[in-house]
Amino acid sequence: MIAKTKYIPDGKKELKELPILHYLDADYVYYPVTSARCPEGETCVRGGQFVKVGEIVGTRKGAFFEQPMHATVSGEVVGYEKHIDNSGKVVDCLIVKNDRKYELHPSIVDRSDEEIAALQKQDFIQIIKDAGLVGLGGSAFPTYIKLETNDPIDVVIANGVECEPNLIADYSLMMNNPREVIKGLIYAMKASGAKRGVIAIKKKYKEIEERLKFVLQEFTEHDIKVETVGNYYPQGWELAMIKNALGIKIPQGELLSKYGVLNFNVSTLQSIYNAVKKRLPVLERLFTISGDGVQNKSFRARIGTLVTDLIELAGGYKDEEQPKVMVLGGPMMGTNIQRDDVVMTHTTTSLIVMNEKKEKEEPCVHCASCVYSCPVQIQPVQIMNAYKTKDKDALKMLEVNKCIECGLCSYVCPSKIHLTEYMRLGKRLAK
Amino acid sequence: MQTVKQTSPYIRKDVSTKRMMIDVLIALIPVVAFSIYRFGFDAILRILVSLIVMIGLEALIFGITHKPAKLEKRWERIKSRYVDYTINNITAPAISAIIFAMIIPSKLPIYAVVMGAAFGIMIAKMLFGGLGSNIFNVAAAGRIFIALAMTSMFDGTYVGVDLVAGGTALTSLRSGLGFPGVLASYRLSELFFGFIPGAMGEISAAAILIGAAYLIIRKSADYRVMLSTALTFTVLMFFAGLKLYPDMTIEYVLLQLFSGGLMFGIVFMVTDPVTSPITRPGRWIYGLLVGIVIVLIRLFGAYPEGVAFAILFANMFVPLIDYPKWSTNKVKPAFIAGFIVLLAIFSLVVFFGVGGTV
Repeated sequence: MIAKTKYIPDGKKELKELPILHYLDADYVYYPVTSARCPEGETCVRGGQFVKVGEIVGTRKGAFFEQPMHATVSGEVVGYEKHIDNSGKVVDCLIVKNDRKYELHPSIVDRSDEEIAALQKQDFIQIIKDAGLVGLGGSAFPTYIKLETNDPIDVVIANGVECEPNLIADYSLMMNNPREVIKGLIYAMKASGAKRGVIAIKKKYKEIEERLKFVLQEFTEHDIKVETVGNYYPQGWELAMIKNALGIKIPQGELLSKYGVLNFNVSTLQSIYNAVKKRLPVLERLFTISGDGVQNKSFRARIGTLVTDLIELAGGYKDEEQPKVMVLGGPMMGTNIQRDDVVMTHTTTSLIVMNEKKEKEEPCVHCASCVYSCPVQIQPVQIMNAYKTKDKDALKMLEVNKCIECGLCSYVCPSKIHLTEYMRLGKRLAK
Repeated sequence: MQTVKQTSPYIRKDVSTKRMMIDVLIALIPVVAFSIYRFGFDAILRILVSLIVMIGLEALIFGITHKPAKLEKRWERIKSRYVDYTINNITAPAISAIIFAMIIPSKLPIYAVVMGAAFGIMIAKMLFGGLGSNIFNVAAAGRIFIALAMTSMFDGTYVGVDLVAGGTALTSLRSGLGFPGVLASYRLSELFFGFIPGAMGEISAAAILIGAAYLIIRKSADYRVMLSTALTFTVLMFFAGLKLYPDMTIEYVLLQLFSGGLMFGIVFMVTDPVTSPITRPGRWIYGLLVGIVIVLIRLFGAYPEGVAFAILFANMFVPLIDYPKWSTNKVKPAFIAGFIVLLAIFSLVVFFGVGGTV
């Protein structure tokens, strides 16, 4: 109604109670050669070649960085197939036949604590670069670039807010492996020279707060605090989270490092821990299947697993005769896909299958719910009107480029107008 | 299995325009009930006439302005014009119709009721493009049209006029007994509960406040415009009262608050979202504008009452308030300062301007 909307029913309670199925030995695993951030890529293995866990099988090339791809099983390279990656595009995938022995590559040996203590900033960056680590919160931005900054960093913040409904990957990580997250945070602090570490979580996750605080007693020599932020959406947006957890107001479009802040997702920190301590790349992630059009289940699965297999294991679709909406990621900002042969990559943690609900668009009655709810304080309804009249100047005046596409305007609209889509169109027009 | 293409977000909040409109209708129930209790069949007849005219004309013009599909049968073609016709095309004119019926006196000739309702829905709403596109408040436009075009038809249409006072509270305040004499004819409690002459729905502040509470609890109307208008009106009237009747300032302000269409206008007409600005500061400014114009008309204008005029006047400024160059949803210090300064300036204007018998 005519008011600011901050809370979205998140449906996480039921999902958290689902048993986690360990499905780590798919017969075949697939590695997309390209990704949304890296439009080019090449493999460095031949068909028939035998690869081991952690071995580099290829490189993806982005605009200003390269990213190695690692095998997550041991076995034989058998060829290529086309599948969908997590941006919904059809891409070439390298296939490795799993021999289920999981032999580690000889380079994968634990580092001792003394070795880690001797690491310098450049060493950390090199390790993280070699492990191909990316932002696991969903951005898939290369982690080492964040660390390369020359600005003095005062605080490293671990983002464990996970404000999107239906996502529980970060939650279960903090619940089950808090030590790895904290150690990863310590390494990130060491690598960036920050003195303080902060883990930001939602206020309502009392159990996580207790767990983290309990584990933090082992690490009293480091200044790490747990900060709780509100249960709102979009609280996980880094600027909103930093503002509420640290009290630092960062304007949109500025680099966080200028304000002495570095922000990592908790899953990214865990991957930093694994890369530094065990020399391992990201091998597996929690994957949740949710929504009313499918049997719900949580999995621990290897990177490269085909989601089709997971859906089958979960029990398949419900009400097959009804049209479905399939979403990778959260229901507010996720990617729509048309086929289910998606390859699990680093940032794939959730598939939502919903039975289609048809919404009829009514005329706008200027109730201003979208304006009141917008987290970046722009005016969606005016942007929509400006877009309809193709008024570029008005679009610029209305600062359409500030939009973070969080989806709240469409979500709250009582007339069911798809404002977020108008924001995207407006951005494109204003360019 | 069939998959559907959509873009994010994929979930929607469980709210609807339909529900918002039905909330307004529910909020109108106490007012309508009280008017039927006071005026009986006269009230029912005028509400029904107004409803039929507004809903019927909206449906008719909706059909005329929508293109038919190319179909064989005549009846099918007519039906195809109404593909987009929804419940909102019934509830929205119903709200306008009931509000319009509530701001006219109970003995107004049916002819005038029909004309006002027709003008409101045709000229003020459908001509601008129907639901969501109208610039002017539909009911206020209809009311002003008949007030200007058929002034003489209003003579003697108010029921329950006090013989000593010789008119409604506001008319006798202006040209009859004056203040505080009018309080002898219409006591404040009578004004509050609605046992006074006046337009059908405007008389009972108590019934209106029940509706207001419902609207605010359901969040189907914006409290900001209500608060802003009421605040501006009270402050300015307080300064007028301070100048004119220093001993009875409170009574004067209360009389002004409970008489005329003020309460009804604040709760049901100013809050119409379609004709309001769309930002927080914008809505405060809009309320300020309405409040100032009501006070200026009541104190200095030719008419005893000016709520409908004030709303139409402020409606004209909505596109200006919403102009992309300066409209913002942030409540900035400059806005708060500007609001207070404007309020202060007009308080001074009122304080030094009023005099005589007003």
